[in-house]
Amino acid sequence: MKIVYLIVLTVSLMFAMLGVPKLSPDASVDMKRELDDVARVGSVVVDGDVCQKIVTQRAKEFLFAKDPRDEFLAGDNYDVDDVAFNTVKKTLARLSHLSSFPADVNLWMPIEGHPGKIQLVIRNKNEMSQFWNWGELYGDMVPQMETALKTEQRVTVTSKPGWISVLAPVHNSLGDVVGLIEAVSRIKVDVHENVK
Amino acid sequence: MAKQAPFLLLLLMVVSGQGLLAADLQALPEFLRSDPFGTIVAPDRSSVDLASSLYDAQHRVMLTGCRGGYVSFQMVVKLPSPGLYTLDVTIPDPANKVQIDLFREWFHFTDSDQHYYPDALIPVRATYNSRLPEPDNRIPLQTAQAFWVDVYIAPDAHPGTRSGSATLKAGAKIITLQIQFTVLASVIPTEDVVTIDHNSYGSSWLAQQFAASYQRDPDHWFESNQFFGLIHAYHRVFYEHRGIFHQLGYGHSGKVGPEFAPALEGSGRAKHIISWSLYDRHYGSLFDGTAFSAGRRGQRPIPFVYLPINPEWPGSYEFWGEAGYEAEFVNVVSEMERHFREKGWTHTNFEVFFNHKKRYKGFPWDGDEVRFPKDLKYFLEYGRLLKKALPPDTPVHFVFRADVSWDMEQQFRILEGVVKLWCAGGDILSFYRDAPKMLRNRDDVIWYYGGPPSVTDSSSAITEFPLRAWLWGVNGYVHWLTISPGEDPWFHFNGGQTALVYSGERFGLTEPIPSIRLKIQRNCLQDLALLDSLKGRKPLDSLRAEAARSYNNSTLDDWWNPRPALADLPSDQWLGSAIEDAASHTQHALRHPAASAWYNVHQYALTLQAEDK
Repeated sequence: MKIVYLIVLTVSLMFAMLGVPKLSPDASVDMKRELDDVARVGSVVVDGDVCQKIVTQRAKEFLFAKDPRDEFLAGDNYDVDDVAFNTVKKTLARLSHLSSFPADVNLWMPIEGHPGKIQLVIRNKNEMSQFWNWGELYGDMVPQMETALKTEQRVTVTSKPGWISVLAPVHNSLGDVVGLIEAVSRIKVDVHENVK
Repeated sequence: MAKQAPFLLLLLMVVSGQGLLAADLQALPEFLRSDPFGTIVAPDRSSVDLASSLYDAQHRVMLTGCRGGYVSFQMVVKLPSPGLYTLDVTIPDPANKVQIDLFREWFHFTDSDQHYYPDALIPVRATYNSRLPEPDNRIPLQTAQAFWVDVYIAPDAHPGTRSGSATLKAGAKIITLQIQFTVLASVIPTEDVVTIDHNSYGSSWLAQQFAASYQRDPDHWFESNQFFGLIHAYHRVFYEHRGIFHQLGYGHSGKVGPEFAPALEGSGRAKHIISWSLYDRHYGSLFDGTAFSAGRRGQRPIPFVYLPINPEWPGSYEFWGEAGYEAEFVNVVSEMERHFREKGWTHTNFEVFFNHKKRYKGFPWDGDEVRFPKDLKYFLEYGRLLKKALPPDTPVHFVFRADVSWDMEQQFRILEGVVKLWCAGGDILSFYRDAPKMLRNRDDVIWYYGGPPSVTDSSSAITEFPLRAWLWGVNGYVHWLTISPGEDPWFHFNGGQTALVYSGERFGLTEPIPSIRLKIQRNCLQDLALLDSLKGRKPLDSLRAEAARSYNNSTLDDWWNPRPALADLPSDQWLGSAIEDAASHTQHALRHPAASAWYNVHQYALTLQAEDK
């Protein structure tokens, strides 16, 4: 029996060392559950009032500005309050430690006066998001985001093969939903993706 | 007039690409690019009078070069109808100090203007057999194939003239061009007067461009010898063309590619390096120079490299501003310094460089191109941490680098003594004529940056950047992206403004292949090194002024812009369009250099060499 145990252990270690995660459907279910836990806790501890202070008024004013002679006008004027940003980012980073696998917790916020649009406000170190198109300042809100914002319920999204995101609402002190956190991971992490 | 008649006929044929009744072989200077039908491409056509510049009265191809460098020209094979041919180019040298590298030019179809341009250079044997149309280039009515010829002259080659030939065999027809190759006594300095950097980001692009190699073992490819060999091959191709290569190893939110950093373990004061394995496989032969031992320029450590340091590495950003961040940063950077010192890696500048921008949502301050002065406090803090991490007498060269644009004038002042390597946006640096001298006087290094020209620009366009660097008195120039030729560079080319090399995989090669633009840039750097070496005999400003005049009839003043009023405003009040307006003088004065622009500077450099003897 000990021999069988040692063989199983050795094979498991070999797979782990080779970095070839062949996760079973159960593993995917476990990941969803863990990410849901992260999102649930995050929905409670992320401070919506601080989140609302992150993007500066100037950045908001330029967000949709266009100038045919200046294609980077909006990006060049994007600015944040670094104290608020750091406060929330640290919270998001710590939330990601609740999962037993590499995960990120990102902050998304709707854009006042622009229904249907949403912007990613904070990303994290694994550079994972199921919804962000690399480089964009803002984008269209996917239906699952609208659902999470309206129902104030957590929503699990697996639209992209191999990706799992759990969206959860962020509240301010008035009880308003001011944003979403995205607890996200991948079945197979690509260590080279987004190193650019 | 009778003497000129053959040249006029040749000129007419070159311009029109017509009148071809039989096979033909033509030598062209490096600056006139042919299309697949034998016509000079439109951007080079205004300099078509150079077509006869290689020939003497006996229709011999006359070439002259200095030792320790290259002389380049092109051969164009023309066939009136589809068929087989053999091209042979030779310049015999018993001592093998004069060597020929022959490349077939790939004709890229550019979607923007629906024309063909040659750029990628496929290495071929000096005796090349093929047919027209060239099968893999798939141009149905192709009647001409261009070849790039590099003639390398070793530094210890004997000066004098050698005879060679280029021979075309097509059916029963044999055409031979005699070549007279003169080696001057002058030796091109090994050191360049301007460092030309070729930048890139990450390494996932390697798997895309060498997909067949990657697909053979996708799970382990990024740890394979093929992968590291490929990275070294990219360093080599740029080094052999008198350039350097940078690969940034982290993303805008701090994710570090495993081959760009030692592996870490632990947290807070317990954080430490647990493995150098991938890092040393990546960089070991680059830092000791052995990666270059087989090349013509010899073994040499790379002069610059990005470190993986960013706000999320080695310090975890969740501890930013706390004792834990400082402990993680200082301890790990100290370990790195010790490792580099013990390995003897003391000839490379290890760059602490922040590339992130707040618009990419990873961090709340701009590391790259600071717009908002409030962000500078982060630079000062990293300067403090770095100082704490490094022994004051370390022989390892850690250098804090900043890429600056909007706020550069303030940064030069506020970050004095912290940042030692500046990479400045060219348009804005052009407002500050005194800056290069001021920075160099305090032993800072100053580069400026931009991007490669398109193949649809004139052949000499690539030379504007090194020339400008030399005229400005800065240390170097950075092409911001040079390895990304687009999804289909071969048949639907985007022009190549983010590429100066291509994957050789299509041609059975396990390394990158160079481009015409890279070759012309290298030859330009040779000339600049030569010109600068004469500054003991002629005032440097006089050399610069004459080079500028030869290039495009410009004065040294034309290469600078007057300081605009906006320079006195806080940088966060500037607009991009206002910068463009303020830089309009140079943009207008230096627009569209002719293909002959660098030819003229080269001739000036050669004339001075002759005068020197």
